[in-house]
Formats: sequence, structure tokens, C-alpha cells
Amino acid sequence: MSVRRAFNRWRATAAPWAVLRAFVVFVYVFSLGPILITAAVSFNATNRSFFPPRGFSLRWWERAFAPEWVDPLLFSLKLGSLTAVVATALALPLAFALYRYRFRGRQALIALTLGPLMMPTLVTGVGLLQLFQQLGWREQLGFTGLLVGHVVICMPFAVRTVSVSLQTLPPNVELAAASLGATRIATLRWVVLPLVKTGVVAGGVFAFIHSFTDVNLSIFLARPGETPITVRILGFLEFGFAPTLAAVSVITLIVPLALVAVVERVSGLGDFIYGERRRA
Amino acid sequence: MPMAMARARKSIPPLLIVALPAAVLLAFFVVPNLLLLSASFLKSEAQQLTTQPTLDNYRFLLTRPLYLEVFARTFTVGIAVGVLDLLLGFPLAYFLVRTKSRWKGLLIALSLAPLLASVVVRTYGWYIILNRFGFANDVLLGLGVIGERIAFMPSTGAIIIGLAHALLPYAVLTIMGSLNGINPHFESAAMSLGADRMRTFLYVLLPLCLPGIAGGFLLVFSIAISAYATPAILGGPATQVAATAIYNFIIQLLDWSLGAALAVILIAATLLLLYGAGRLGERRATL
Repeated sequence: MSVRRAFNRWRATAAPWAVLRAFVVFVYVFSLGPILITAAVSFNATNRSFFPPRGFSLRWWERAFAPEWVDPLLFSLKLGSLTAVVATALALPLAFALYRYRFRGRQALIALTLGPLMMPTLVTGVGLLQLFQQLGWREQLGFTGLLVGHVVICMPFAVRTVSVSLQTLPPNVELAAASLGATRIATLRWVVLPLVKTGVVAGGVFAFIHSFTDVNLSIFLARPGETPITVRILGFLEFGFAPTLAAVSVITLIVPLALVAVVERVSGLGDFIYGERRRA
Repeated sequence: MPMAMARARKSIPPLLIVALPAAVLLAFFVVPNLLLLSASFLKSEAQQLTTQPTLDNYRFLLTRPLYLEVFARTFTVGIAVGVLDLLLGFPLAYFLVRTKSRWKGLLIALSLAPLLASVVVRTYGWYIILNRFGFANDVLLGLGVIGERIAFMPSTGAIIIGLAHALLPYAVLTIMGSLNGINPHFESAAMSLGADRMRTFLYVLLPLCLPGIAGGFLLVFSIAISAYATPAILGGPATQVAATAIYNFIIQLLDWSLGAALAVILIAATLLLLYGAGRLGERRATL
């Protein structure tokens, strides 16, 4: 075969894939680069965010563990965990009713459930602030207000994951349990709940992450002393860009990453993000 | 079975078990949004909302060049970010769906991992790269492309790059979902019938995953036009977008009427667009 024909064949078959791969590498660099750069910057010895870092020091990390940053971090963790629990607790009956029953107003309920997903979070935040102010609940801004807001915006995620796991429920398990003499409550407790456990856990994890990384709602409902870490970082960004921020940013990235890694180990979280057909 | 179902329906009425979550959503989602809508039609005086109905808020926002510019910038950013993320996300999604690599799972996880970081964190990296003494300036100076340091930010371009970066995983996820449903044999069939890669892509693959592409664009667009953090960090007072303008009205100027009206215009424009896209989708489906 001539060189020319070999080249033509390469161009027709292998080359497009090679070009695609090169482009994919570029996209990964674009997508992960800035995050890696942030991590690198936190080890600067100078007090500016230089990249590549000049010198090596851990003093920015030391500062990142001062109360100034640890307090909002703990606040975010507390808020995220409680949001996850409340949002999934509310989502469970909602998802179950939507999946199990056909009733009048079901479509309206679906729209209501997914509403917070459609509406920009920022707008919900402004509305909630207005509601709280008009009701004279100024004291409730901060943790309580944030919890209410986060539960509202995180519930759709939890309803979705629970619905996905309800749909994978073998069709006749409930009837089987009932025919063996289990009451409705016992069936729910001992048959349905254990089977949808993964979905509930996944919903909780999504709710936590959504709450932990939220900015758009939190900027309106936070108040001094009761501020999530994201809002704290954003407030600080307006004054300066010390490498401490880079260290803090990396810490806030590690928290959800560790959570997902642990939960993925225990139950297949990946199934809910990608590859639903693997279970079907 | 029907009897059991009928009995079950009687024993636990669905309205009872959904009462609590539905009440929470009504009280803390529907009511706040209605309040906001009503505030946009009320007059503000001395930083207080009055009960006087008016259309002046909308008239003010839709006639001042400053705010028309804000709307234009917001939608330019939304469209640019949407297009950019499709151009970057489609090849990546296609690769991830079709690759036979051993590392497929890891590669998918890596492409979605940025979703775990807050937008604030993801944008901070771009600040380090784009600021006057940042990495991009260093590289360009070192290469001799530029003679002196230039300010890449604050600018609309920086906002677009930052948001395209932050929202890329949403585009990838949506397109991957639709590519997953396309049988790879369609492509081999087209090629064995003599179509080259380009024709196969244009006439087979692209039409089949158009819903995924449209969905990805709309998702990215709608998040981009209401994003606050990235424009706040990479933009400045001269490059306001709708979200930062709303924040200024409400938190800095305490003008609820104008803030609310701006939010309503933003939502109305988005809904109109989504509705239009939906209609377009239907038309395509019937053809």
C-alpha cells in the first residue's frame, strides 16, 4: 500500500479521533487548571497570589485555620447537614405520593416541587428576605432564614433522586409484603424504605452539596456572625486576594469531595449522576 | 390488585402525606415570589415600600440607557456562555460516551468534579490568572506578545470565561444524557453507506442529539443570566449584570421596587425564551 493511501486511511479513520482526544485534553486543562492553580497559589511564600508560587510556605494554611475562617466553615457544615436532613425528610413523602398515587392536582404538585429548580435562586433569596422583613422576623435572618431558604432550593434535588430509586423498585414487592400479612406501615418501614435507601442518601448528599456551595440565596439571608463560608469568601474578595483565600478555597473543595468519596464507597452514588440505565 | 390499590388509596390519602412539604413550598417559595411580584408594582419612598401602585419601576428600568445596557450585557453573557459551553462540552461529552478507555469512569468523574466546588472557589482561579499581575500577563509578557501589563478584568469577557468554566459540567451532563440514548450503530451505518465523518456528524449525530444540545444551552443560559458571584468577582461597577444590579438595589440602595422589577423582568425574559424554545421543539417534532 502506498504511503499516500495509508495516510488517507489514517485521515478517514484514526485522525478524527486523535484530534478529538487532543481537544478533550484541552477541555480538561481548561476545566481543572484554574482549580489546580488555586491550590498551588496557597503555598506562596509571598503575600500576593502569584502563580507559579514564589517560594514555599504553609503560613497561609495556618491562617486558614484561624477562627475567622473556621467559624463560617463550621457554620456551613452545620447548615448543610441540617438542610440535607430536613430536605430529604420533606422530599420522601412528596416523592412517594407523586410516584404512588394518581390524584387531582398531581400536575400542580409536580410544578410546585420543581419550581425552585426553575426559578433563579437569587430571586427566591430576594423574595424570602422581603417575606422575613415584612413579617418582622429580622432576628430570624441568619441561620433560621438560611435553613428555610436552603431547604426550599434543595428539596427538588432530593425529590428527584428519591423518585429515581422508587422507579427502580421491583413492581410487586409491596403487594408481596401485603399478601404475606404486612400492614401498610410495616411494608413502608421494612420493604420500601430499605430499598430506596440509596436514593434517600444520594438526595441528602446532593442537598448538602447544593447548600454548601450556594451563594445566590445566601448573600441575601446571611447576617454578620451567621455567614456561610462562600459568602464570607465573597465578602473578603472585595478587599483583597491574599493567598489565605486560596487555602480556604481548597478546604471548602475538600469537604464535598471527601463526602462524595465516602458515600460512593458505601452506596453507588454515581448511579444517580450517570448511568441510570445500568440499574434498569 | 386494583382492590388493594383502591384500599390503599383510602387508607392514606395522598393529600395528607404531602401536606407538610407542600405547605413549606407554598409558604417559603410561592409566597415570597408573589411578594416580590407585588413589590415590583409598588412605589418606594425614602427606602421604604409604600402601598401606592405604580408602573414607574418598569418604565424607569426599560428607558434608562444604563439599565438597558445591563440587560443587553446579561443576555450577551448568557448567550456567549451557552455557545462556548456547547463548543467545549459537546466534544467532551461525545468522547466520554464513546471512549472504550479503562479510565472512562474516572474521566467522567473528573469532568463533573468542578460541580462540587462553589462558584466562588472556581472563579478565584480565574482571578489569579486574569488580574493585572496574574499568570496570563506574566506569560504574555514573557513571550513578548504584549509590551506592558494589560487589565483583562474587570471586563465582560472575563465574566464570560469565568461563567463558561463554572457551568461547563451542566452542558456536558445534559449532552451526555442525550448521546447515551443514540445507538452507535447509526453512525457506523451512515459511514458504511459512504458518508464521511463530517457528513455523519452533521446529518446523523447532530439531529439526533439536538434535544440534548438545546437542553444544555438553555440550562447553562438560564443559570448564567442569574449568576451573581462570578460577575461580582470578575466584573466591576462598569460591567454590571442583572444579578449584581438586583443585589445593589436591594442591599445597597434599599430600593425594593426597582430590585423587584428588575428580577421580574429577568424571569419574564427567561420564561419567554424557554417557552419559545419549547414551541420550537414542538414544531420540529411535528414536522
